[in-house]
Amino acid sequence: MTVAKESSAVTNTRMPWFNISQAMPWIMAIGFLLVLPVMFASGSALTIMNQMAITIIFALSYNMLLGQGGMLSFGHAVYMGLGGFFCVHLMNMVEYDNLWLPLPFLPVFGGLFGLIFAILIGSFSTGRAGTVFAMISLGVGELIAASSIIVVAFFGGEEGISGDRTMGPSTFGLDFASQLEVYYLTAVWLVISALAMFLFSLTPIGRIANAVRDNAERAEFLGYSQRHVRFISFCASGFFAGIAGGLFAINFEILTEENLNLATSGSILLITFLGGVGFFIGPIIGAIVFTLLQTVLSLYTEIWQLYVGTLFLLTVMFFPYGLTGLIAMHIRPYKLGKISMLYQSYLRMSVPAIVCILSLFSLLEITFHARHAAIGEEQMRLFWISFNSHSILPWLVVIALALGSGWMVKSLAPDIKEAWDEANYVGPGK
Amino acid sequence: MSPAAIELRNVKKNFGLAEIIRGVDLSLAKGERHAIIGPNGAGKSTLFNLITGKWGVSAGSVKVHGESVENQKPYAINRRGLSRSFQITNIFPKMTVFENIRCGLLWTMGYKYSFWTLVNRQPKLTERTNEILEQINMSSKRNEIAGVLTYAEQRALEIGITIAGGADIIMLDEPTAGMSHSETDYMVELIRGVTENKTLVMVEHDMGVVFDLADKISVLVYGKIIASDTPENVRADVKVQEAYLGTAADAEY
Amino acid sequence: MELVVVNILDGLVTGLLLFMLCSGLTLIFSMMGVLNFAHSSFYMLGAYFAYQISTYTGFWAGLIFAPILVGIVGALVERYGLRRVHQYGHVPELIFTFGLALLIEEIVQFFFGSNQMAYDEPHSLDFTAFSIAGNAFPAYKVFMIFMAMAIFMVLLYILTRTRIGLIIQASLSYPNTVQNLGHNVPLVFMGVFGVGTALAGLAGVIAGPVLGTFPGMATVLGSIVFVTIVIGGLGSLWGALVASLLIGWIQTFSASYHVVFSDMLESIGFTKPVIIEDSMLRDLWTLTLSQIGPILPFLLMVLVLAFRPQGLFGKRES
Repeated sequence: MTVAKESSAVTNTRMPWFNISQAMPWIMAIGFLLVLPVMFASGSALTIMNQMAITIIFALSYNMLLGQGGMLSFGHAVYMGLGGFFCVHLMNMVEYDNLWLPLPFLPVFGGLFGLIFAILIGSFSTGRAGTVFAMISLGVGELIAASSIIVVAFFGGEEGISGDRTMGPSTFGLDFASQLEVYYLTAVWLVISALAMFLFSLTPIGRIANAVRDNAERAEFLGYSQRHVRFISFCASGFFAGIAGGLFAINFEILTEENLNLATSGSILLITFLGGVGFFIGPIIGAIVFTLLQTVLSLYTEIWQLYVGTLFLLTVMFFPYGLTGLIAMHIRPYKLGKISMLYQSYLRMSVPAIVCILSLFSLLEITFHARHAAIGEEQMRLFWISFNSHSILPWLVVIALALGSGWMVKSLAPDIKEAWDEANYVGPGK
Repeated sequence: MSPAAIELRNVKKNFGLAEIIRGVDLSLAKGERHAIIGPNGAGKSTLFNLITGKWGVSAGSVKVHGESVENQKPYAINRRGLSRSFQITNIFPKMTVFENIRCGLLWTMGYKYSFWTLVNRQPKLTERTNEILEQINMSSKRNEIAGVLTYAEQRALEIGITIAGGADIIMLDEPTAGMSHSETDYMVELIRGVTENKTLVMVEHDMGVVFDLADKISVLVYGKIIASDTPENVRADVKVQEAYLGTAADAEY
Repeated sequence: MELVVVNILDGLVTGLLLFMLCSGLTLIFSMMGVLNFAHSSFYMLGAYFAYQISTYTGFWAGLIFAPILVGIVGALVERYGLRRVHQYGHVPELIFTFGLALLIEEIVQFFFGSNQMAYDEPHSLDFTAFSIAGNAFPAYKVFMIFMAMAIFMVLLYILTRTRIGLIIQASLSYPNTVQNLGHNVPLVFMGVFGVGTALAGLAGVIAGPVLGTFPGMATVLGSIVFVTIVIGGLGSLWGALVASLLIGWIQTFSASYHVVFSDMLESIGFTKPVIIEDSMLRDLWTLTLSQIGPILPFLLMVLVLAFRPQGLFGKRES
């Protein structure tokens, strides 16, 4: 075989230290982050962006466990929460006990505190993967969350612990009183953390973590203890979650029991899964989409959690690769140059699909309003139309719309399937 | 005299009340090519799993390079220089061929649990991976996702992962299972090439392969070794003939 | 002394209730390998269905029909939801049941609102069965005990004495073999999931009047149920019983005795700080037994996992 000569030509035994094409997405992301507050300068926009950034770091740390390690945890919030609580205490020590700690370094300590607890808990919880691990994480998470009401000295009981971030030594003349300053601090930490987590996945331990996830038995026969590998992933994940906690402390200046509980752990699972666990960028997309849904939807409807819950369940059942997976499905047709064919079929389907979804939303909104609005309050407003939710006409209209558009969607569905098959077709002819 | 590569003394294994391995003595010298054959249900896979650490023994001792390894974890045994392949292909389906082999190298090349180096920037690692890919003739497929390879290619990759770490005892569990004649011949040559100067232990059903590759054959029947000798002597052994011809179910050959 | 008897009985009620939930969960887990995170949600559905039925026809109709309804919902969920996700493995299954729990809570809130429902025990049972040292023990709780024990007996009988029980036990370990023998294993799966969830629903019907019928009732009980089966050992019915009773008694006893930790610590020789508020360990000094009561199950779970990871009676390698 003459492959010998070819392979040595293919091998890059001398690699450039800095590969521009690989660095490009990161450079663009940094540029984007720099420019964002210029585009959206309002206070509430900055708050949302800060929240997104923190959630992204938290979700990325969670995906180190779920996506890269194959470990499902129902108690990940405790590492972020503990890191956050520690940081608020540090902030208070800066304020009252003259501790010298410039604010930008605070998240490191959050990370270290999260790491310590991850080491403690990981020492007995990472022996098994799968269901057992999930249950242990649930139990430990609830234990710590419940303990937080009791250990008032550290957790502040019902009111939590609050602090003031502006009391520290000024850094480059900044005291971080303004949201904008906090935004840039958070953005810097976002880039550092995301880059670190990304590079981690390219290290020997990162690669082997993937191997253990896919085939733990095989990995053992490569010389790796699956238990040690999972333990290290767990600790790294706890570290970065702690950093997210520190940033939370800086941003909101208060930590409560809510930061430790099952609801928060559950929501990060939802976010990460929604975004797509199999991709590095998945949790990022999930965090952004979820934060947007949460802030925007909640302005318009009281039952936004019902919608998000339904979306989540549908994702688990039909799109287990998440939103990123959905997007990634389009890469192949794109490379084959057949993406326009898909767009056309999407376009045709778009009107009935949108009408169908909106009419179903409306049905739910009307029902909800009819059942739960205050006595006597019969008028409701939906899509800029005011009507009486107790009368029969809106119901009929909405149901008719839903059925009609639903029928149209159903009849157009085979077209989409055909377009997909076409778009993925690689072969002679056509 | 250097210790035997693998030594089994009165090894027994029970699953509940069922006695699967009922007292096996075996000694394999360094550099020996040894095949373990026997009718279905004899316990060959169980014996394999006992040596490689998947299961612990119920009694008896297993020694690798003179050190006891019974009841140790697979990774501990692997680090002593013993590597195995699996009967049902056991690769990393979501990784590329290149990454599969590279994973096999990480521990022995000293990377261990490190998180301060990037695997893509290790020239020695890349070079060695390419060498192994060469050895198993998969260089052209290096960037294919392992899950979509053909069966024979996956089996070859399996062998590649097994030998990548440089173990000097290679244990192959039915390496030619499910292959056509030409694929089997190819595999035999591949195995011969990659296991040069190493100790080879095979479980096999294909007698052609066995007689081609093995210096010594052990015959396992109902958890006991009834013969352990050169291929010619085993062929002529009356007990072995009885075990195979006497049981009408084994009509494979 | 009388207080002890009251606590024993109360703990029995809690423990048996917990067991009703754990038994269904264990059945489903042993059968299908999937831990139904939404199990306590079916418990909630049972309570709500029973409440709704009782507004039309009274408690007893609810007792009969609500569990059946819940079981049907459960079977449908298995058929159209879980089965689809099953192919992806155990972790996606767990995520699915988690999402289901989320959704059921939202749906319940959608229809019934977030307030507690006026789901009360039936008038026929609304009297005091007996008194112990002035503590009235309601007849309804006696009813609960009997129901729970009856269910356990029936379950035990079905699993060990009937044909269907043997098939279920066999499918537990060798589903493919059982299927090759001509049994409709998917149907069995659907049935077991339905029965398991119906059991949870029944627990809800019975517990609703006592523990309250509100959208958070699933989360309140949810983690305790999982902790209980981990302590008992995943996959073991006896373990579930023992652990449930243990947890039930721990909860009851810890809540009724006023034990302050400062007394205990002082008796060992530590001195209580004069100004407690300044002490870092002030929470430890002011700690009472009733405060740590809720976290004792979790603490116990961590201990069990550290020293006996397979649980008290565990056998199944998950």
